[in-house]
Amino acid sequence: MKFFIRTCVSCFFFAVFVSSSIMAETLEEEFKIEGIISLASIKALQSELPKKLDLKIIDLDLKKTNSGWPVLRVQYNSDLITKDKIEAVIGEIEDPAGHFYKVHNGPLVANAELSEEEIQVMSVMGDVVGFSEVKNPTIDFETSVKRGEESFKKNCAKCHGLNGNGYGVVAHGFTTWPKQLWVWNGADSGADGYLFWILENGKSDMPPWGLVMSEEERWDLINYIKTIKKPEGI
Amino acid sequence: MAKEIKPPRIRISRRIKKDKVIKVKVKFNHPSFTGLAMADDTSEPVFNRVRPVTFIRNMLVYYGEDLVSRLRIASGIADNPLFVFKLKATKEADIKVVFIDNFGKKWEASKKVKFKG
Repeated sequence: MKFFIRTCVSCFFFAVFVSSSIMAETLEEEFKIEGIISLASIKALQSELPKKLDLKIIDLDLKKTNSGWPVLRVQYNSDLITKDKIEAVIGEIEDPAGHFYKVHNGPLVANAELSEEEIQVMSVMGDVVGFSEVKNPTIDFETSVKRGEESFKKNCAKCHGLNGNGYGVVAHGFTTWPKQLWVWNGADSGADGYLFWILENGKSDMPPWGLVMSEEERWDLINYIKTIKKPEGI
Repeated sequence: MAKEIKPPRIRISRRIKKDKVIKVKVKFNHPSFTGLAMADDTSEPVFNRVRPVTFIRNMLVYYGEDLVSRLRIASGIADNPLFVFKLKATKEADIKVVFIDNFGKKWEASKKVKFKG
């Protein structure tokens, strides 16, 4: 009988041990890191974090990132550590330059909505003056769109992307992502003047193309932009 | 903790005559940062985001009730910029300068134009 009870008890503890070891999941998590300003910053974070927490750094990649923020990938035991704890510890680590790292949780770019005062001012002077009076003078749209496509590939695709998705090769370097151009697809003639104004004067990080392109070239581009369609699956 | 940003300061001449052009200086201690840095310049230049972008987005200038100027500013602006511009002193009224940054925060300062002599 004693043997039977001992066996049962040991079986029970063994089962608890096995189940707990199964429940202890190994998770992988990605963190966008603020504050990496040099190669030394990367090394410092890679060496300090495993000292403070029992986790494994899989990768800290600067190049394979869609958001522009460096991505830290870690593997950890969910029984021992939580995601919040990792975030907190990252925030305590000091960079060699003397500032602290931070996990980026906010939006990609902080650009608040325009205030009422700004909108009112812009209606008086600046962004939208007289654009509605500008009319599209194009007669042969087909030829114009072809010329516009060539011009787009040459001048615009680096920032706006070849398909107009706003993820051009140099777009990571901007403070705001370039516009996804398919929003203008099929826009009526009312948008022409506005697009012409933006092309001529620039907007956000986009330079004023009125200094470089002739009026005809700008209208070609506008005609082409209005034909760009949103690719399927995006 | 980040330092609190103080309102801008305006300086104008004390001897202003009617219809003369005066110089207005506006100093605003506001940080400016594109948010980007070159993290790896050894093998291949890699720009990445370092911290959220911060810059003054708009500067509005009022003379009395009238809006006389608006500057649209981007992230390339210097830290703690000094703006100097000329203005024709047509009336005794306040010059008000409003700054709005990319987070939508607003600061303003004003200075009274008084005629002398």
